[in-house]
Formats: sequence, C-alpha cells, structure tokens
Amino acid sequence: MEAIKYYVKGAFSGVEQTPEVLEQQEEIIADLVAKVADLVAEGRSEEEAMGLAIGSMGDLSTLVAEFQPLEAAVPAIPRTAVWATRLNLGVVALSAGVGAAVMIGSTALGALVDLVEPGAGFTLLATLGVGGWWVRNAYLRYQADPDAIEVREQEYRTRFRKAVLVWGGTALLATFMNITTYTDFWCWPIWVAGGTWALTVKMEKWLSRRPEFIAPEPHE
Amino acid sequence: MVDTAISSDLIRGHIDTIILGLLSTRDRYGYELCKEVAILSGGEYELKEPTLYSAARRMENQGLIRSYWGEESQGGRRKYYAISPEGTEAYRRNLADWQRARRLIDRLIAGDTGKE
Repeated sequence: MEAIKYYVKGAFSGVEQTPEVLEQQEEIIADLVAKVADLVAEGRSEEEAMGLAIGSMGDLSTLVAEFQPLEAAVPAIPRTAVWATRLNLGVVALSAGVGAAVMIGSTALGALVDLVEPGAGFTLLATLGVGGWWVRNAYLRYQADPDAIEVREQEYRTRFRKAVLVWGGTALLATFMNITTYTDFWCWPIWVAGGTWALTVKMEKWLSRRPEFIAPEPHE
Repeated sequence: MVDTAISSDLIRGHIDTIILGLLSTRDRYGYELCKEVAILSGGEYELKEPTLYSAARRMENQGLIRSYWGEESQGGRRKYYAISPEGTEAYRRNLADWQRARRLIDRLIAGDTGKE
C-alpha cells in the first residue's frame, strides 16, 4: 500500500498541496487500493496486483497539470539590478551617519545629566572610529569599481527580522556584561552597532528603489 | 490497433454522457465507473482513471454531478459521485442528440438518398 501512496504523492509533488489536490490524491489511492483488491481476488499476488494497478493508471501528468504548479503558487521574489558599490556606499554612509548621530546625541545627553562615566568618551570615539572605517572601505570599493552591477532580490523582511533578533540577543548579552563588570563599556557600542546593522537593511530597501541606484539589467 | 484508436476517438467525445448514464442508475466511485465501462464495452474500451477524474472535476464544476466521501473500506475512504437534476437533464439532452446524430450518420454513411 505504501508503494501506491509513494506513486501518487510522487506524481503530485510538483503542485501546491491544496485541500483539492490532497482530496484528488486520496481518491486515486482509494481507487488503486480497490483495484489491487480485485486483482488479488482474481488470483494475482499482491506485488503483481500492485504493479498492474499502477501500470494501468497510465499517465497522470495531464490530470496533475490541471492543478496549480508549485512555482506559480509561490510568488516570485522581485529582483532589481542595482549599481552595487554605489548603493553599498549610500547604505553604509547613511546608516553610519544615523548610528553616529545616536551615539553622539546619547553621550551628550548622558553627560548633561551626569549619567555617563568618564570612560564614555573612549567608547564614543572607538564606535565613531569603527563607523568611519566602515564608510572608508565602502568608498574604496566604490572607487575601485563604480560601475559594478548586481541583481538583488527585493526581499528585506526576513533579513530585517534576523538583524533585529541578532540585535536583541547581543544587546541582552551586552547588558549582562555591563551588569557583571559594573561598567557601561559594553552597552553603547553593541546597542548602536547592532541597531545600525538592522538599519542598513531598511536603508538598502529604501535606496534600491531610487532611480539613481537602479542599473540596467545585465545581459547574459 | 487502428480499430481501437478510432473507437477511442469516437467515444472520447461522449465520456460525459457515459458517466452521466452510469450515475443515473446509482451513485458510484471512480474505479467502479471505470470497471463498469470495461464490462459494458466487453473489454473493447478502457476508460482510464485520469480521464475519468478530469471529466468528473469538470462536470462537478458545471453542477452536473456532485461528490461525497463514503464510509471507510479497505483502509481508506471512497469518493462517490452522484448525478444532479441538471446532470439528469443534460444526460437526456445528450442522449437525444446522440440518437439524432446516429440516425443521420447512418444515413450519410450508407449513402441512402431515400429515393428508389
């Protein structure tokens, strides 16, 4: 009986498993089981009956073709050709800019209300340094190949969720480290860096739709 | 071989009527319909299950038949088909059309001008 199920499920593997498709498969399986029972009653062995029943079913492809194919059921992810290094530079510059502004603003605010320790200045400079390094590298890549074209999938939701989850996890870890070491050394750089990474996804989504970053489709 | 191909082509256009005719006597499941066709044709015509399922889906969408799941048997449920009032009406109409067409074709093939 497993062979029948395997045969039928295999025949319908290329279509979306809707209730209608599952019902059709169940009907075919039930009919094949009845046919096998008839052949066995006529004196065939179960194995032989199974082979004959499946063989007599003929080509299922025309019937299967009446159902919605799997690839049509799953909407294709839209793809856009972009000026890759230009877009990366824009994304990095804007994200680093926002991250730096948050870092400077929160440090200044903390200094005003006496919430930050003297070490905060070092943390601020180190974070800004990393941000500057990040922008510099993106700029160098842009200069090396300003006309680089890449076709990118316009699917940002999954990437953003993943970035936010990583951000939340590292922020928790940083807070834990902060508590255990009695400092705020771990907090700010991690919080800002993590947030900035998530921000790059949103920035890329926004910038990749702007005409100055959309490139002509590359030819094969 | 040629005979089988010709008869298959001729019969294919009347599968809906054949199914409606079988369902007009009682409800049947898919394999039972195929089996009945084989018996009625004396083994000269085989209604393949995929053809039957396609026809049944189409006729169900047209409201000519309806389907329902029967009791569990031999480890699985069977899907039964029943004719609807619209199906009964379509069957009568198709039968009348076929009888008229058959008379006409008989005359045409025989070359009968009706004049002696």
